Amino acid sequence: MTKKRWKFSFNAALFLIWLILFGFIAIKAPNFLKPNYLISVMLRNIIEIGMVALPMTLIIITGGIDLSVGNIMVLSCMLGGMAATAAGDVAAVLVTLLVGVLCGILNGLLIAKVKITPMVTTLATMYLYLGLARGITRGDSIYAYPFAAFMGNTVVLGLPIQIWLYILLAVIFVYVLSKTTLGRKIYSIGLNPNAARYAGIKTDRILIGIYALAGLICALAAFIWLGRFTSIKYDAGTNFNLKVITVVVLGGTSINGGIGDMKGTILGTLIIATLNSGLTVLNIPIDVQTIVQGAVLMIALISYAVLNERAKKKKILKVEDAKNAG
Amino acid sequence: MAETILELKNIVKTFPGVKALSGIDFQLRSGEVHAICGENGAGKSTLMKVVCGVHKPDSGTMIVNGKEEKFSNPLEAYGKGVSIIFQETSLFEEMTVLDNLYLGHEMMKKIGPFSVIDYGAMKQKAEEIFKRLNTKIDLDAQVKSLGMAQKQMVEIAKALTFQANILIFDEPTASLTQREVTALFQIIENLKREGLGIVYISHRLEEIFEICDRVTVIRDGQYISTKDVKETNKDELVADMVGRKMGSYYPKANTKIGGELFRAEHYYDEGFLEDISFFVKKGEILGFSGLAGAGRTELMESICGLTGKAAGKLYLEGQEIEIHNYEEAMEHGIVYVSEDRGKYGLIVDMSVEKNISLPQLKKLKKQLDFLDIRKEKELGETYIREVGIKAPDGEFLVANLSGGNQQKVSVSRALALKPKLLLLDEPTRGVDVNAKSEIHKIISELTGQGLTIIMVSSELPELLGMCDRIYVMKDGSIAGCFDREEATQEAILSVALESKKGVGA
Amino acid sequence: MKTKKNFMTKEFYLFCFLVVIMLLLAVLAPGFYTLNNIMSILNSFSYILISAIGMNLIILTGNIDVSTGALISVVALACAAIGKMGVPFAGLLVAAMILGALLSTLNGLFITGLKIPAIVATLATTQIFQGVLPLTVEGSIYDLPASFTWLAFKAKIFGVVPASVLICLIVTVFFLLFTKYSRFVKKLYAIGNNRNGARLAGINVDRTVVLSYTIAGALFGITALIVATAGQRVTTTMGTGMEMTFIAAVVLGGTSSSGGSGKLIGTVIGAFILAIVAPAINFLGISPNWADAVKGAIILISVVVSASRNRKRKRVVPAGQKLQTGGGVS
Repeated sequence: MTKKRWKFSFNAALFLIWLILFGFIAIKAPNFLKPNYLISVMLRNIIEIGMVALPMTLIIITGGIDLSVGNIMVLSCMLGGMAATAAGDVAAVLVTLLVGVLCGILNGLLIAKVKITPMVTTLATMYLYLGLARGITRGDSIYAYPFAAFMGNTVVLGLPIQIWLYILLAVIFVYVLSKTTLGRKIYSIGLNPNAARYAGIKTDRILIGIYALAGLICALAAFIWLGRFTSIKYDAGTNFNLKVITVVVLGGTSINGGIGDMKGTILGTLIIATLNSGLTVLNIPIDVQTIVQGAVLMIALISYAVLNERAKKKKILKVEDAKNAG
Repeated sequence: MAETILELKNIVKTFPGVKALSGIDFQLRSGEVHAICGENGAGKSTLMKVVCGVHKPDSGTMIVNGKEEKFSNPLEAYGKGVSIIFQETSLFEEMTVLDNLYLGHEMMKKIGPFSVIDYGAMKQKAEEIFKRLNTKIDLDAQVKSLGMAQKQMVEIAKALTFQANILIFDEPTASLTQREVTALFQIIENLKREGLGIVYISHRLEEIFEICDRVTVIRDGQYISTKDVKETNKDELVADMVGRKMGSYYPKANTKIGGELFRAEHYYDEGFLEDISFFVKKGEILGFSGLAGAGRTELMESICGLTGKAAGKLYLEGQEIEIHNYEEAMEHGIVYVSEDRGKYGLIVDMSVEKNISLPQLKKLKKQLDFLDIRKEKELGETYIREVGIKAPDGEFLVANLSGGNQQKVSVSRALALKPKLLLLDEPTRGVDVNAKSEIHKIISELTGQGLTIIMVSSELPELLGMCDRIYVMKDGSIAGCFDREEATQEAILSVALESKKGVGA
Repeated sequence: MKTKKNFMTKEFYLFCFLVVIMLLLAVLAPGFYTLNNIMSILNSFSYILISAIGMNLIILTGNIDVSTGALISVVALACAAIGKMGVPFAGLLVAAMILGALLSTLNGLFITGLKIPAIVATLATTQIFQGVLPLTVEGSIYDLPASFTWLAFKAKIFGVVPASVLICLIVTVFFLLFTKYSRFVKKLYAIGNNRNGARLAGINVDRTVVLSYTIAGALFGITALIVATAGQRVTTTMGTGMEMTFIAAVVLGGTSSSGGSGKLIGTVIGAFILAIVAPAINFLGISPNWADAVKGAIILISVVVSASRNRKRKRVVPAGQKLQTGGGVS
């Protein structure tokens, strides 16, 4: 009971923070409120990070991490782009998606079957994917092909297509994590992988599955990314991983696994999007965004730490109550 | 000459929810081996952890070598001459033996302005100590490469690197072979002759009569008696330890036992199980006894498909079945309740109802993969009521329940799967006396309803009180089988310890 | 007596691997062993290794630092700002080490004080470090005086060996001795092995962890100075991404990312392998664009090999399990 209430109030707190931020910036710089700015700057710039943050939340809840996401995105983008020049758009789409999924499966296999820690695994594959992207393209840029351009620049019903895609994915992920048996299994793996296995849950299969899913979403983000920038080099994914993890952690997902919420991740995405675009509109140098972002993350971490301590104390009190009663 | 070197007066220690120690008195003289014995959970280990500073007592005084002391960690206790050899070793596996011996109190020497670790001196001292212990261990080996007995030697040697005159052994023989035990006793004998005072915690009575001088019995956290070993006997000690008649504890119901339900034939698991054949009849409670490491848990896990490949044939109700993973075992109605609740059993940070539903999420699905939360709630509430779990509601976190109630959650989770064959591994370990008898009652009722149960236990009285038949395992194979009428502690132990193949069935 | 001297360690295999590569290079890439090339490899080796040693100390306790790259950028810029005033090398070195140590101590305090997992905590400080830079400088500091670039251009031992190599040698030898002969490093291993056990042995875990960050920070500072003084312009992104190279060197060197095991000598070999990849590929006539992929593959293979070596099937008897004779028996 208490736990539920606490979680609820936590998301509400995140929402409140976002509102305050949003309001503050809107008052300071009325330009910010123009729909055009909100949509094409604030939202459009965060979509790739936001999309990949969704499966990253699942991964972190299982107690894992994926440092290679940015490079999966770039590698699938590169190979897709080369396929487009060689064999057209259909081939490009297939190759992009396939590469994304295969990269994810490799991560998952190494983690679940070879039992290398997720951090070391994805650190190594991060290098590998980065290096492959660089080697295959010989360091040259890859240019957008029609399908990528479509994904990056089309407007449907007043919103860019990628925002629709994000909304669709976000809804699916919220439901998968909170309402399905798969979501329950993911939490149980994060809380106690041994006990999950001893309850008949096929933990290996689920782990491989969600890393593959992360790869797939990276590939989807790759289309949008390429379309938005029209050309991409091998090193475009640098720091992407840390940005994604920032969003997830800001949303209240514990890096130790077992605790987290998809809505929190979505709110975290919104907060970072508002911060980035808001500071730009306030004419604060773009680079300063990073420090504010870091400060926000740090404040969030500190408040989680404090809240955690309190929750622990409450738990002990509760045990004593139960004891006195029983 | 035999002065008192350690004296405890009226030690009290409570943990959230349990009064672990309520007023314990204890004296240790130099040159004696003083046993502390009591049942599981009586408070033996807790008492010694209080002595060496792992736990802080709520009240009471402790006099060490004539001075009143309070330790805040074992290192401090070591410094004052009190050393403990822990039940679960507290060694650092990746580090070398020598590093382990001196961690935190390395010998230093000066080289110019720097003070550096003096490996030469440490080695020399360590070799002396091992010589004193009559053992040879490579000082540069990593601890993880050592066997259990060797690790224990390292622990003892570590204690001796301090000038300890009080040594505490906490269940030292638990995982040693007979030969290693003999060697250990020789060492304890020698240390005693050197004038050290030794506290020996064990519930193996034969050991106490072999090497101890006095024995103090505690029960449920209370001091019961201190006696000279020469002036007492086993029956007297057992009476002190148990404090009540055994029979009344085991509410075994008379059930109708039907035909064969399950049979394993020539069951192998490389390195763990060797040619195991057994069967269980409908409505029976079948016991598995044996020493630690005899392969009982491995057998149960293997049957359920939890440990990968095994060779051999399994039959359920006369049909041959194959089990590759635990899910398949559950589909056949074979359900396992693990011995280690916290690690393999429950997810303690989840609620009671979520734990109960976890193995059968498949059955609680609506369309697509959506979970039917109402059904889940009903399931949880049903079993909270039926099994009598003391939780306010299904959303209560398992972590906040007592050990006994956690175990009930484990059992009800298994029952919720509607099993044909229930494998219970140490169902009453670490639960208090009341919960224990409640769990026994539940087991009894279940067989009354026609369920078949295989029960693994290290407590012989429990097996003798509850089971219709008892298999004894030794070194990964079955060493004997006893019917209820012919089973006695002596008979089972002699099979478990000596492994005369062919005893019993 | 039963445990034979374990000669076949991870470090030994890694060393063999390195020797094989070097021999192959001698045969396949004739131009590889020229003085100039060796010196340039040694130079990049030296700055990787100095920081990798620091990273190794941190990882030994089971922690990590992903803010190193940003920290190096900060220190490099600060050095440039001081260097512009004509401060000589010795002064710069002291300043770099102190600043590095201070910033890194912040990380340590953040982790231990608030009990936040190291990877997240340092992720937050990464962004703060990165953000501090543009607040103070516009992009880069340039037109640096000769006193600043003295290390890279003038300070050559016997006229050939870069002075950074000498610094690296001193640091490495010092830490090899320090690892063996100090109580401090024993504590790091103990914490990484068994945190609770370490606490029971009277080790102040938090203080030790913070100190490991402090020492590592000083080493990161040295790296920052070497990187900064390599040219006449210091940019705000000088160190970006470097942390991954350091972590890779440590992991490749056999240190477990969960802490408690791994030798410093492994890190030395790991750093050398990573430093040699790019020039080796170049001399073998392969496009330098493949260097990162080769590095990734080497790290991946090495962790897979060591994981499968460790994966002997073992099940431990849970503590406290024994046959309990509640009655009087023998």
